[in-house]
Amino acid sequence: MNKKSIFLLNTLFFLLSLLSFEVVYLYKTKSLDGNSLAIKREFVTTLLLPDLAISTEASYIRHRSLSDFSSIYRDDASLREYFASTYVYKANDAK
Amino acid sequence: MQNKINFYIVEYAINSLLRQKYKTIFISIVFSMLVFLLSSLFFITNSIKYELKQTLEALPDITVQKIKGGRHYDIDVSTIDEILDIHGVSGAVARVWGYYYFENAGVNFSLVGIDEYEEQYKKSFVDVAANLDFTKPSMIVGEGVKIVMDKNYYKDYFNFIKPDGTLKRVDIAATFKAQSELESNDVIVMSKENVREIFDISAQKATDIVVRVANFNEVATVASKIKLLYPDTRVITKDDLKISYQNIFDYKSGIFLALFSVSLFTFFIIIYDRVSGLSSEQKREIGILKAVGWRVDDVLKEKFYEGFIVSIFSYLVGITLSFAFVYIFKAPLLQNIFLGYSQLKTSFNLPFVFDMQTLALIFFLSVPIYIAAIIIPSWRSATLEADEVIR
Repeated sequence: MNKKSIFLLNTLFFLLSLLSFEVVYLYKTKSLDGNSLAIKREFVTTLLLPDLAISTEASYIRHRSLSDFSSIYRDDASLREYFASTYVYKANDAK
Repeated sequence: MQNKINFYIVEYAINSLLRQKYKTIFISIVFSMLVFLLSSLFFITNSIKYELKQTLEALPDITVQKIKGGRHYDIDVSTIDEILDIHGVSGAVARVWGYYYFENAGVNFSLVGIDEYEEQYKKSFVDVAANLDFTKPSMIVGEGVKIVMDKNYYKDYFNFIKPDGTLKRVDIAATFKAQSELESNDVIVMSKENVREIFDISAQKATDIVVRVANFNEVATVASKIKLLYPDTRVITKDDLKISYQNIFDYKSGIFLALFSVSLFTFFIIIYDRVSGLSSEQKREIGILKAVGWRVDDVLKEKFYEGFIVSIFSYLVGITLSFAFVYIFKAPLLQNIFLGYSQLKTSFNLPFVFDMQTLALIFFLSVPIYIAAIIIPSWRSATLEADEVIR
């Protein structure tokens, strides 16, 4: 093996180790542990509002089971709706 | 040892790549970016789906809502007694909750009423029930709500405007734990009496009724019985909700699909460029190699190593960057696909999910295709006679 091959193998090995290290680090620090999972479940069990608050203005995303007072077209079991086009806001609300 | 790696060919492949330094670097960058983009999108959806799935089982089996004139309407609390008489029903609770639109900030708060004495709540939400003072109006708010209220100078209390125009002052008792932020960001919990007062719901009415069924096989039957008993209601089972989540993810993934197809299209253009023919220089190289005694499989092996080195390098770089981008830097820009123009933004802490399937999917979508794009045209040239190729 010449210098270039060794350099290539080292680079690939370095990348692989970096990836493995990153995965282990993320697994240790960023994955859902039993405690936070229990807190989430407890929260959902109590409020019975399951959805994630990632888009809080869009009621259809936030709480799938709630009928919205400003729309009559959502009362079907599949609850399909397209936010912005079926939700009413004053123009100056969307700052 | 036929299958042993021939390091001389590997060295030749490396030299060949280095001879076309700028081309190799350019392809590696584009390839890494493609893997990075695809994997980032997949990682974000995976994490959100995972988080949702973890809490989905905690949902009520059946939700009963009254519909009047095609709209949701408050349901009679006395309905509970008749629902409880149905065989198989293990419990039913009247929920009092709704949205409160705070005009100054342009956000919707979710107001949820809990009852200190209700067995179900007391058991599962000890912390909140303990913190909440039921003797005076107080509430527990999500972190997003707290930030919005702080910005509007409501540090210790908030004035809710009741339907009759009068104000209702409620003290902020505490905020929710950070771990449940993705669920609780817009939530305000207070006693049922306070929620009733703010929304002007009488004591005989509730927003909806949630029903627990002991045996999950009986959910559909119980749901149809409730529907027969109360034709004016909408009966939603847990499965309906699961389907609707699927729908919303399909909708969101539509945006993903658009990005995905653009990047895939770019990649295929590169591949098409490769497959459509080798440059005359590359052809001559293959011809010379054959003339000096290389066999077809040696040439193909060399080309395979070339493709493999570039693609595996780019794959590893792309995946490593994307893990860091999504889970360490919280996916700036890309997370906006989910947040929309939401003003109650969460900090978007995605739980780390190591999904082999996704990694394999991205691997098989990129690496073998690229290697094939290198090998196929080389094979075409390598099978010709040496003098024919050189000429």
